[in-house]
Amino acid sequence: MAKMDPIGRTNRFLFGWIRERFPTVPWADVTRQGVETVQRQLPRSHTEKYELKTVWYWYPLYCLGGIAFVAFLITVITGIVLGFYYIPDGTDTFTAAGLPTNPAKLSVACINGDSECPYAAIPFGFIIRGMHHWSAHMMIAAVFLHMCRVYFTGAYKKPRELNWILGVILLLITLFFGYSGYLLPGNDLSGGAATIGINMAKASPGPPWLGEFIANLMFSGTDVLTANYILRMYWFHVFILPLVGTLLMILHMALVWVQGVGEPH
Amino acid sequence: MEIEQVREKVFEGRPGFPREYGPDRTDRQPGYPFWPHEVYRDLVIILLMTGILFVLSAAITPPVGPAKNPTIQPFIVPDWYLLFSWGLLKIAEILPTGLVQIPAPFGPLNVDGAFWGDVLTAIPIIPLFLLPFVDKGREERPAKAPVRSALGIFLIAWIFSASFYAINNLTIEKWPFLGSDDTLKWFFVIPPVLTGVAAYVGLRRLGYREMYWWRVIPIGIGLFLLLLQVTDTFLLQPLDAGRSLGDHLGTLAQPQVQALAFVVGMVVLMTAVVFYAVTFLDERRAKALLKPFFVLWLVVLLLVGKFIVDTQPSSFAYVLFQTMPSLHLIYGVPIFVLITAAVGLREPYSAYEYLLNECYQCGKCHTACPVTKVEDDALGGLNLVYNTFKKQHDGVPLWTCLACDACSAVCPLDIQYSDYILEERAKGAGAPQGGEA
Repeated sequence: MAKMDPIGRTNRFLFGWIRERFPTVPWADVTRQGVETVQRQLPRSHTEKYELKTVWYWYPLYCLGGIAFVAFLITVITGIVLGFYYIPDGTDTFTAAGLPTNPAKLSVACINGDSECPYAAIPFGFIIRGMHHWSAHMMIAAVFLHMCRVYFTGAYKKPRELNWILGVILLLITLFFGYSGYLLPGNDLSGGAATIGINMAKASPGPPWLGEFIANLMFSGTDVLTANYILRMYWFHVFILPLVGTLLMILHMALVWVQGVGEPH
Repeated sequence: MEIEQVREKVFEGRPGFPREYGPDRTDRQPGYPFWPHEVYRDLVIILLMTGILFVLSAAITPPVGPAKNPTIQPFIVPDWYLLFSWGLLKIAEILPTGLVQIPAPFGPLNVDGAFWGDVLTAIPIIPLFLLPFVDKGREERPAKAPVRSALGIFLIAWIFSASFYAINNLTIEKWPFLGSDDTLKWFFVIPPVLTGVAAYVGLRRLGYREMYWWRVIPIGIGLFLLLLQVTDTFLLQPLDAGRSLGDHLGTLAQPQVQALAFVVGMVVLMTAVVFYAVTFLDERRAKALLKPFFVLWLVVLLLVGKFIVDTQPSSFAYVLFQTMPSLHLIYGVPIFVLITAAVGLREPYSAYEYLLNECYQCGKCHTACPVTKVEDDALGGLNLVYNTFKKQHDGVPLWTCLACDACSAVCPLDIQYSDYILEERAKGAGAPQGGEA
């Protein structure tokens, strides 16, 4: 055996040890082949396919869905950071001055660097929270405009009906993302929005027990004073909605990949 | 399993997965690859967005506000994307309420404001699920599907109106000239309907297509009934005990009913005439009718207005000041009518140019064109349609075209090229423009 340098020997020993126990190489190779093959199979737009010189002036609007997804990724990244510091506890307590407060509000104050923070303020927390806030707004606006684009170009028609329905579900998920998100800080907006939400849930069309069931499911109670809705909405906001939403988004984009974009020519 | 075997088992023989792969493959692949073209473009958008968000969050920190208070329920405004639902919850107070007796366990059904808020919020969402099964066919440009586009614009305006009504208290406080809460309720109906109608007429003309009379007549009747209903509600109904003067003119308006009827009648007349001209007449006749009509309308308005001012000064002032809080929507109608007329009576040239712009150079017209078989210029690859709309012709396609319509017959986009040619020739020869075939 030829003499190898120490780094090469170390590499060979380390990765060889892993490779014997976890043979990744064939699969990595197959993945590489797949990517290199598939990346040449992207559905091309009409303009690209026929190398046209004319560009339809609606084409820039075709990036709105992508913008919504990028905004979602930014909210995910900043949301993971916020999750380290946020306390999902909406129990009403009172400050020394007799003002109402709660742990969730105090943790958000720490993230925001406000003076009422009882712990150490989070450096640049206001930037992270601001990015989470603004990219969420951007995502909802982009989703709405994306839907308008799809509607006005008639891109929901055959064979894309399924993808349109997926998109409507994603719109509802996005709205619920926003709603559950602004219930979390434990401020006056959360209190008022929770009141409206619980009342609307209780008034669900149907018998009274149905409304109470929905209110209990979504807000963990039928009375805004006793319901621990912040914990409930926290779990919706950080686990259930991201899980379902991400899966449906991947499906949504996979269908676009397979079917190509709808072009009204 | 060996690598080569895995490679063959997974991909070989599948459609679209040839044996050669990666950058080394030899067969020509038109279009842009995902890497690097798409990735670079997306990276630019992503970095730009992230930069904008950084600047935004550094400049405008979203405020947290005071903590939620278990004893005081503050006045809050939800985020903008849920305002429409709140507006619907507020407008729901006009709907009937009560307890519907249904035997348990399915009842009783308590129909209250929150119930109607739920139902009204679901109303715009359920059709979204059904949409692809109701509206079938192929994807189309917005101008080619005026009904769908007008409906979409109507819905967007409706969502805006609902969101606008959600802050009705603030609106009235800030802009008292908008009138009372009752007036704001009409914002749910009138601006969306007018916007939708204007969009329909405009898009129909932009696509240079004839109006369907059976669609136009219900729209016209609906508009008329709407106007009648508004007039009736605000002007002619007696003053209720529970309502203030600003809400209803009522009995106080009876002595001034002539002046009021004149104002409303002028608006209705203008709407009806413009609607008739734009939808049923061709452009030349519509313009010939509308130009003198607008002059006459203005003259009548001024003369009769002056007569009313001279004979009944109190009546005129009354009409002007009392109608402003509750009837400003009617004063908005002529603006919409003028917009509709302006959009509906565009110069045909620009409409033709719009249609020609749909050309994606498939070349079928070039193959079908008999002129290109004999003209020397054309033999060199002169594409009549494309070169005409790119303004790259020197008059040859314009004056050698036989107007045989062979190109339109094969055109996948149904571009009426010979119509355009004839229109251009007429223009070049100094003939009057316009005239829908």
